[in-house]
Amino acid sequence: MTPPTSDVLRELAALLLRNAAPGVPDGERANALGLTATLLNIAAETWDAAAHNLVEENRAIRALLAETGNDPALHLSVLQAENNRLRSALIGLHARAEAEGDEPLQARIWAELIAGTERRSLSTAPI
Amino acid sequence: MAHALEPRLAAYVAGRMPQASGVTVSNLERISGGASRETYRFVLSWTEAGQPTSRKLILRRDPPASLIDTERRVEFEAYRAFHGSSVPVPDMLWLEEASDALDHPFFIAGEIAGFQAGPAALFAGATEAVLARVAERKWTILGDIATADPAPLAAILPTPALDDCWRRELDHWAGLIARDADHPLPITEAAIRWLRANPPPAAQRLSIVHGDYRTGNFLFDAHGDIHGVLDWEMAHLGDPLEDLGWSLQPVWTFGRSGMAGGLCPPAQAVAIWERASGLVADPAALHWWTLFNCVKGQGIWVGSAAAFNSGGNRAPIMIYPAWWLINAQERAMAQLMGRL
Repeated sequence: MTPPTSDVLRELAALLLRNAAPGVPDGERANALGLTATLLNIAAETWDAAAHNLVEENRAIRALLAETGNDPALHLSVLQAENNRLRSALIGLHARAEAEGDEPLQARIWAELIAGTERRSLSTAPI
Repeated sequence: MAHALEPRLAAYVAGRMPQASGVTVSNLERISGGASRETYRFVLSWTEAGQPTSRKLILRRDPPASLIDTERRVEFEAYRAFHGSSVPVPDMLWLEEASDALDHPFFIAGEIAGFQAGPAALFAGATEAVLARVAERKWTILGDIATADPAPLAAILPTPALDDCWRRELDHWAGLIARDADHPLPITEAAIRWLRANPPPAAQRLSIVHGDYRTGNFLFDAHGDIHGVLDWEMAHLGDPLEDLGWSLQPVWTFGRSGMAGGLCPPAQAVAIWERASGLVADPAALHWWTLFNCVKGQGIWVGSAAAFNSGGNRAPIMIYPAWWLINAQERAMAQLMGRL
């Protein structure tokens, strides 16, 4: 996710400290805390599966790109960087498949892209 | 405790009202939302010709960095263009483009008080009959916007050729995505390729485009009437189908699947708009503009993330659109491209 969850949690912690101090107008405090709660709920929903989903997706995209190899580490930042590299390469492969009219490859790419959106789906998402 | 902005705001207004004395600002509070502008409501009090007077007003101030970069003069003039027309808008009072008075540019407008804008309140409390009334008013007003004279904004905005409206908008938003996205977006890129390869016909007329006409950006009452159209910061001149496509964007269903804006079936929304505007919504052209608006939405959500990630604006409102909508927007594009 972007912004990265770790950055967001740090920012929310600072926001909570500011709102714990006296003098914050009631309306602004209510808005800040309400939005903080919403974001914490999203972080909680995505936390457990975050690394698993990136590993699974990176493996699937490597297969489409006919690449071998594994993720070098399980830190989310490392997995995300590899995911960015792979998804960037996938965009190039997708464009070439369209230009060449390679329908079977396009269908395989779309299947993975849809699977990727399902991995990232939130329970509160509009779609 | 008084808000720190109150005395500064009072000093500014006093300078704009030489006929008034005892100008004060009270009850200033920030309104939730407002990721592109900081929005506050306040009460202005003053004495004029011996008569004490007060009025509820709105302050819209630029934030340090926004999820969209827009000119507040365009927004100000768009409101003014519709004031007193069938499109209800607040009364614009003062525009300040310098940063001396309140640290950032801002404008001040009359508050249309006593109504709500939030989709949650609408869908939690309204009956189906009220939602149908909101739908009728929503797309009738959009038809009125589509047929309004664009001349007041043509003086300050580019006027694209009718056959170039689509390219101008697509280039703009695709460019912002290329600049701001820190994660590759394969479905968005596929949508951009498709849009470039399958351009729509020329616009049937040049219209004022609101740019963010959706449920949540108008003030409604308990009967379903609309009393104010807000958030004109992305107003520009272009194809009237652009606004219609934005209003049909799948992410704006608010959990009411298959309902445009969460209000009514898309075909009904289009029929209301066509009746009000006298214009035609060619299905293929409208499909293009609806998919384009998914790309535009993505440009806004990744811009929001970029503003946070760069440190330009660390407000939590910059996080929420990115977390909640980037993936949903990809799914909306896949749906419109027949892949979901």
